[in-house]
Amino acid sequence: MNNNYYIDSKQLGIFLNRLNDNFRVFVPAVKEEEGSKEPDYFYKNLSDNQDLVFNPYRSVEPLKSFFTSPQERISTYFTAKSIIETPAKTVIFGLKNCDLVGHKIQDFVFLEGVEKDTLYRLKRENTIFISGDCTDFKEVCHCLAWNIMPYPKEGFDINISPLNDGFLLEVGSEKGWQLIQQFKEYFILAKEAQIATRRLKRESLVERLKNHLDPQNLVPKDKVQEIVKSGYDADTWQQFMLTCVECGGCNLICDTCHCFLIDDVKEKNQNAKVRVWDSCLYANYARVAGGANPLKLRKQRLRNRFMKKFDFFVENLGMPACCGCGRCIEVCPGKIDIREVLKDLAKKAGSKQ
Amino acid sequence: MKNIYKPIEATIEDIIDETPNIKTFVLKPREPFEFKTGQFIELTLPGIGEAPFTPSSDPNVKEKIDVTIMNVGRVTSLLHNVSKNTLVGIRGPYGKGYPTDEFAGKEILIVGGGVGLAPLRSLLLSLFAQIDQYKKVVLRYGARTPSDILYKELIPQWSKKKKVNVVTTVDVGEKSWKGHVGLVTTILEDLPIKLNNAVSIVCGPPIMMKFVTLKLLDLGFKPENIYLSMEKNMSCGLGKCGHCRLGKFYVCKDGPVFSYEQLQDVRDIWD
Ligand SMILES: Cc1cc2nc3c(=O)[nH]c(=O)nc-3n(C[C@H](O)[C@H](O)[C@H](O)COP(=O)(O)OP(=O)(O)OC[C@H]3O[C@@H](n4cnc5c(N)ncnc54)[C@H](O)[C@@H]3O)c2cc1C
Ligand code: SF4
Ligand code: SF4
Ligand code: FES
Repeated sequence: MNNNYYIDSKQLGIFLNRLNDNFRVFVPAVKEEEGSKEPDYFYKNLSDNQDLVFNPYRSVEPLKSFFTSPQERISTYFTAKSIIETPAKTVIFGLKNCDLVGHKIQDFVFLEGVEKDTLYRLKRENTIFISGDCTDFKEVCHCLAWNIMPYPKEGFDINISPLNDGFLLEVGSEKGWQLIQQFKEYFILAKEAQIATRRLKRESLVERLKNHLDPQNLVPKDKVQEIVKSGYDADTWQQFMLTCVECGGCNLICDTCHCFLIDDVKEKNQNAKVRVWDSCLYANYARVAGGANPLKLRKQRLRNRFMKKFDFFVENLGMPACCGCGRCIEVCPGKIDIREVLKDLAKKAGSKQ
Repeated sequence: MKNIYKPIEATIEDIIDETPNIKTFVLKPREPFEFKTGQFIELTLPGIGEAPFTPSSDPNVKEKIDVTIMNVGRVTSLLHNVSKNTLVGIRGPYGKGYPTDEFAGKEILIVGGGVGLAPLRSLLLSLFAQIDQYKKVVLRYGARTPSDILYKELIPQWSKKKKVNVVTTVDVGEKSWKGHVGLVTTILEDLPIKLNNAVSIVCGPPIMMKFVTLKLLDLGFKPENIYLSMEKNMSCGLGKCGHCRLGKFYVCKDGPVFSYEQLQDVRDIWD
């Protein structure tokens, strides 16, 4: 079955505007910083008749921020009222493959295990992912090092690839298929030649990204677990933590980091539980009563971050908790670069034998 | 729709002073609530905070749950100040609990330190309830001083039971104390058990667990026959918040009870 359609640019804008009647539609907006080489993209609510921006690479915000928040009420109690309501139907346009792959970690955390998080599940069920191929990359992008392609293969409802004056659309799920059916008038079945062109464009970007990454000699996916484990006692942690100011930015911006704390608050006629994103770089992250703290030192906490990503998740889910988006690299005021930390560990692991 | 973070209501029916800084709270849940011995709950002081505790009561008693709580910080000190009939919240039960089925036909050595006797009381009570299934129960308990000993009235009753052997020690004695003085490891010599058919269960502060484990290994216990209650910072209790990671495990969902065999290769487990 052909799952591919063509739509011209103008029609795509109209299509999304039509969706705006029934969904909250989020689209990327560009923000060019004075003096910065790369423009950044942030999500905005689609406003009426707004020109559509196709982001060439991922947004600044992680996808997780649509499903959990830095701070949110997750339960009220000792009251009949429930805060679990059906969340607004949402469309997110412009996701990239790193977002989709990284999001597997969030899904694993909140949708599997001993119990499912109902709030998360409802948001997930009510959200449609319209992803897109990357047509460019940021300096920090290193998806390919983890064998993640700069174009989605799965995990989307609809994926779009720029093609001449329009876009090729691939349907990835039942939800996506229903949308296409509902707005049939905008879509034309794609031709073989168009699909071939998409392949060429993808290959050409992969080639460019390879040329960007090859000289960096990054740690490969199949070695990373062994490298962090054998680097447990390396002085890498001590060396790299020196510039960490414990802002937690690396965790909060990361699409795979998921740690949170539950706090209780008193409200007018009820009590509530509030979930707050936490960071394993914060000094109190692992503190227990009486003041004992297994992650007392900053170097232990930095190491914890890597052990969680590259040992724990490989062990429990079969994939590292990093999608190579590079967000943590951009955000870190201490200029701590995850690629460099891993390379340093690899170097030391290599020289040890 | 089920909200996994929402606690159910429970009233504090009674509060028992155990030691100068430990109290037992008798909770009556307003909805049915069952647990297996060794599983834990998250106890909420409404609008203030929650913390993990392992019930200290017999899991066969369904209508009430005891939790024995040491006053160590923000939530626990406020808990120590509430009065009877206060409404609290409970979530859970969480974790795997003690694998009591595997103890059938065995001699069971239980080593406790300080408030670590609380979860062990629940275990002891559930073992006593089916004592014919086990060869023997040997309890070794250490507290800091005589007044820090938990369940002062119960321990003498337990030691009179058939198939049960109890020795208590304190780190620092006082005039009226006639018993052992010394760390709990000093009462692990000459244990009245046969190693080839014994399991051991340890619960106490990390430093005590470390030295007891080393001692038990030294005595010849196999790593798979030593069970440890690991304590980590916890928030969700559900394997989601990330805080309680221990190597490839989450203590809340894969524990809190682990065999030493499971943990042998995990770094820094006693920190
Ligand atoms: C599985 C499990 C079972 C436990 N059972 C008992 C018990 O039966 N009796 C008993 O007295 N104590 C028990 N504890 C320890 C008890 O949870 C802590 O004493 C309590 O969390 C302290 O809270 P606080 O606010 O008074 O202390 P503070 O020092 O003011 O705060 C400690 C902070 O760390 C957080 N925290 C999370 N996990 C822990 C932890 N494990 N220890 C300490 N702080 C933690 C608290 O939520 C809080 O934010 C148990 C702990 C665990 C993990
Ligand atoms: S972003 Fe950098 S400075 Fe901030 S906590 Fe992470 S490593 Fe430390
Ligand atoms: S660790 Fe850094 S590069 Fe990896 S997913 Fe998180 S933010 Fe992106
Ligand atoms: S307490 Fe949240 S993951 Fe274990």
